[in-house]
Amino acid sequence: MMTNQVNSGQLAASFRDPSGFLFSRGGVLYRQVNRKYEQEYMLLMESGLYEKLVKAGLLIPHVEVDPLPVGGEMAFRVIQPERVPFISYPYEWSFGQLKDAALATLSIQRRALKAGMSLKDASAYNIQFVRGKAMLIDTLSFEIYKEGQPWVAYRQFCQHFLAPLALMALKDIRLNQLLRVYIDGVPLDLASQLLPWTTRFNFGLLTNIHLHASAQKKYAGEEVKSRGGATFGRQAMTGLIDSLDATVRKLNWNPGGTEWGNYYDITNYSDAAFEHKKQLVDEWVKRVNPALAWDLGANNGIFSRVASSNGSFVVAFDIDPAAVEQNYRQAKGEKTENLLPLLLDLTNPSPSLGWANRERDSFGSRGPANLVLALAVIHHLAISNNVPLPQLADFFAETGKWLVVEFVPKSDSQVRKLLASREDIFPNYTREGFEAAFKKRFTIHHAADVHESERVLYLMEGK
Amino acid sequence: MHFAPLPYLDPGSGSFLIQLLIAVLLGLAVAVRASWSKIKGWFGIKPKADEDDDESSE
Repeated sequence: MMTNQVNSGQLAASFRDPSGFLFSRGGVLYRQVNRKYEQEYMLLMESGLYEKLVKAGLLIPHVEVDPLPVGGEMAFRVIQPERVPFISYPYEWSFGQLKDAALATLSIQRRALKAGMSLKDASAYNIQFVRGKAMLIDTLSFEIYKEGQPWVAYRQFCQHFLAPLALMALKDIRLNQLLRVYIDGVPLDLASQLLPWTTRFNFGLLTNIHLHASAQKKYAGEEVKSRGGATFGRQAMTGLIDSLDATVRKLNWNPGGTEWGNYYDITNYSDAAFEHKKQLVDEWVKRVNPALAWDLGANNGIFSRVASSNGSFVVAFDIDPAAVEQNYRQAKGEKTENLLPLLLDLTNPSPSLGWANRERDSFGSRGPANLVLALAVIHHLAISNNVPLPQLADFFAETGKWLVVEFVPKSDSQVRKLLASREDIFPNYTREGFEAAFKKRFTIHHAADVHESERVLYLMEGK
Repeated sequence: MHFAPLPYLDPGSGSFLIQLLIAVLLGLAVAVRASWSKIKGWFGIKPKADEDDDESSE
């Protein structure tokens, strides 16, 4: 993985935390625990909290590494966490994924309180999907709970989880993209303005978003001294976490009504064509046997499952929030551990973001994949988005070693629809033109006409 | 309107105060719930097992 790195292999995403940092050595990811964090780390490990969280699938398991690969005066321990097969970000998650990440965070906080600890941050970026479950990957997120103190991560929880979930469920599903702009979560005054006025009748949203936003504005920069009775007891903390949990659980969004939600009902595919396509994909996936496969334009993941059932870890990208949601629900329901559905606009994939553009990796830098599936997407990129075929070939060559790609000719009814309302400025968009462009970057191993259709499926290997 | 970003991991004064407000309201609710289960206990209705110890995160 070509993750962003600063000096000595230290990863740029973890520079803020004085408790420790992530670094990589020889392709293995480690996390240094600093001396400063000794007490907290020992409490996490010895109170049984670590074990409970790992058992519940809420915290990434790790092993302590001895001897320390780096050492240094600051080092207390070095741990090696289980490798996350693919790092994803909240602006790439569907509604259900963000909701599960929020509930996981609250569930962790509840268990932590019982063990005398508390989460010191509630960043959505600390959650990753591992073996199909939303899991905390930052082992150093815990602090020792001091009764009377409020939850230090409360504002972050509201900005990273509650505000975007409420906006997605109650205003517009696409508002999750605000997370791409606001890296520390949606500002609450903005969320408060955008949410429907009626959300003020929802106790959880009234208090945690609307009143919270007003209080932030009113008391900005003022020093708040806790006076006699104004401490925040354990019962208050439990009440707060329960209230957030109930508020999040009540937010729901159901797929449907978006562009591709019912895509397979409106395709021009016959059953025979569909089956033949599946069979070809299955055959070629078995041949390539990729560890990591990316399905670009995966829709609800029918072909991704062909690859995942062969043992590959598959990231199933689609632009449609409904398709990604459906895919996630199915994967969750079937407890599929090696399939990760994500939201992605291929014409504008996730960029590098954050401090010095190094905190969050771009789509491209999280690759390349061993195999890319690009089924029924070429016409959208070439015709709807005007990308010339040679540039498409370059893009796919940089994205993966092997490529299973479907060419959809102009005579295909779907392409005719795309061309119906515009001038045909694509003289090279022919089977010959496609092959000529892709041969510059790939060796074509197979080209198969899909039964009962005009489409061609290719297996190619990057040069 | 202020645009200054709040410090990293600083709950901020507003976030602190709103937690106190919610605490007052919800601390009450928790207390009521606790005594309610005690009352139910008198009638032989057992409280549910501690769900966090065996629940898996959804």
